[in-house]
Amino acid sequence: MDKTTTQPAFDRAEFDRMAAEWRYIMTDMICRAGSGHLGGAFSLVEIVMTLYYRIMRTDPMNPRWDGRDRLVLSKGHAAPVLYLALAYKGFFPPAWLKTLNADGTKLPSHADQRYVPGVDMTTGSLGQGLSCACGAAYAARLDGKKHNVFCIIGDGESNEGQNWEAAMFAGHHKLDNLVAITDYNKLQIDDFTDTLLSLEPLCDKWRAFGWEVFEMDGHDWDAIFKTINAAIAVRGKPAMIIAHTIKAKGCCLVENKPESHNIKVPDQTTYDKFLNSLTAKATLPY
Amino acid sequence: MGKDFHSMEMRFVYGETLNELIEQDPNVICLEADLSKASGTNPTVSSKHPANFLNIGVAEANMIGIGAGLASEGKVPFCASFTCFATRRVYDQVTISVAYANRNVKIVGTAPGITAGPNGGTHMCFQDLAIMRAMPNMHVYSPCDALELRSVMRHMAASQQPTYMQLIRSKVPKIFDTEYAFNPEKAAVLREGSDVTLVSTGYMTQFAVAVVDELKPQGVSVELLHYPSVKPFDAATLVASAQKTRGVVTVENQNIIGGLGGAVCEVLSEQCPTRVKRLGVPNQFGEVASEQYLFDKHGFGPKHIANACRSMAAERKSK
Repeated sequence: MDKTTTQPAFDRAEFDRMAAEWRYIMTDMICRAGSGHLGGAFSLVEIVMTLYYRIMRTDPMNPRWDGRDRLVLSKGHAAPVLYLALAYKGFFPPAWLKTLNADGTKLPSHADQRYVPGVDMTTGSLGQGLSCACGAAYAARLDGKKHNVFCIIGDGESNEGQNWEAAMFAGHHKLDNLVAITDYNKLQIDDFTDTLLSLEPLCDKWRAFGWEVFEMDGHDWDAIFKTINAAIAVRGKPAMIIAHTIKAKGCCLVENKPESHNIKVPDQTTYDKFLNSLTAKATLPY
Repeated sequence: MGKDFHSMEMRFVYGETLNELIEQDPNVICLEADLSKASGTNPTVSSKHPANFLNIGVAEANMIGIGAGLASEGKVPFCASFTCFATRRVYDQVTISVAYANRNVKIVGTAPGITAGPNGGTHMCFQDLAIMRAMPNMHVYSPCDALELRSVMRHMAASQQPTYMQLIRSKVPKIFDTEYAFNPEKAAVLREGSDVTLVSTGYMTQFAVAVVDELKPQGVSVELLHYPSVKPFDAATLVASAQKTRGVVTVENQNIIGGLGGAVCEVLSEQCPTRVKRLGVPNQFGEVASEQYLFDKHGFGPKHIANACRSMAAERKSK
């Protein structure tokens, strides 16, 4: 079977080019839809690309392949970046990308395993994904399966108490096949996290719940690859990676601004402004 | 010889039946949120099948999410808690992680309605049938005796569908014999009659049977329909009975808004306009009290059921 395994071949220039391309395509997708969650998808580009191209074992021809690594994108509103990864890996035709949020689309605003090949968990109501990931990881352990379960949560999402129920569970049960990543872009919908409801000391919180905690620059290819592999290697406890990221990174119009969370694109002028605010242009695959 | 399940508390029937289901399919997992003794699974399941028993702690939202994650990997989780915590407390988790995602998670609400008695108003959930019924993809069952509970659970383990089931914890009288097999598409016609139709589910069916048998020698012929499945709802049986009797009384251990009575009114108003009297809790919260006190206060005990059937029959005969 043609299963993607960890790919040691890493071409920095090619990954940089592809990251810029994903940001350009996502902007176009969101602008076509008239609005969308740009900021939190942009902050995850390098992390999701690394997961799908250098870490996770998947089989695009058989999306439910039992031996695959699972990814729960608990911050389901960042679905566009997951869709880019899945389309590029061949889980579905790239032409689907332009249908984001369109009537009858297979690509809804929030990640949905019912419609999208390769999506492992339906998410969107914040705070639920880490519990689901715990269930998936627990099931894998019961069955003696060797795959990893990854879960990406948001920093704003970390306000939800259910995360901490799941944190306690995973720590207690020492779920070492679970690797969680917090997309710590320091912004939530209404304001900066530190102003609205501070998460600090975030690393200490996770450590206190029995997790091995790492920090990384969520836009540095080497740091991401090295840290995720270190997290996978942890035995006897779950691992949390606090990824320091920049919301809407690469879109100077709204980068690191609260309004990047869900951009509104009411007209062609705004559409053009967003596309022109990106560092690089790309050819659309549709 | 098999066990006499009718002589057991329903919660222990739940535990024993879960053990059987686990033995038939090791993917069945018993999930609890620190109420496993109340659900009858500790020590029944926890000691016999410790690997299939998972106590999440007092974290019902997490239990539902973990259930959804287990189901995504082919497990069949049965997640139990008091009805109030298994439904209204985790309504969004059940809606999104289970029903919307269409995950094969079984949710079990124990001590439904007034049977939460000593725990009082905070624990008395009168709206679980209504709110779970309003959720797309969700199947809603309320078995009335030990045999039906076992049959419903076997169906749940095999169905691959998101399901909510009310579980009476106490011992209840025998209604069904060994021939009975639960079919979610079919109501059980427990008594045939011609003057009035009485519709019940779950805990109230035992009282409904007694009332119907008491009214018969008094010249009131009541047709008793028991609905173990409130959703899907067998409209055909109800409509056929209503066409015959032209008067319907419903009784449920729930708020009269949106539950069994609501389902009956929806069907009849569209398919066979018929007078309906709903008995249950009239839009009020519960309180710590005896069953008799609550029956009398809210007007849905045996004597109220009998009176409602008599009135409905008389009304029908006068026309």
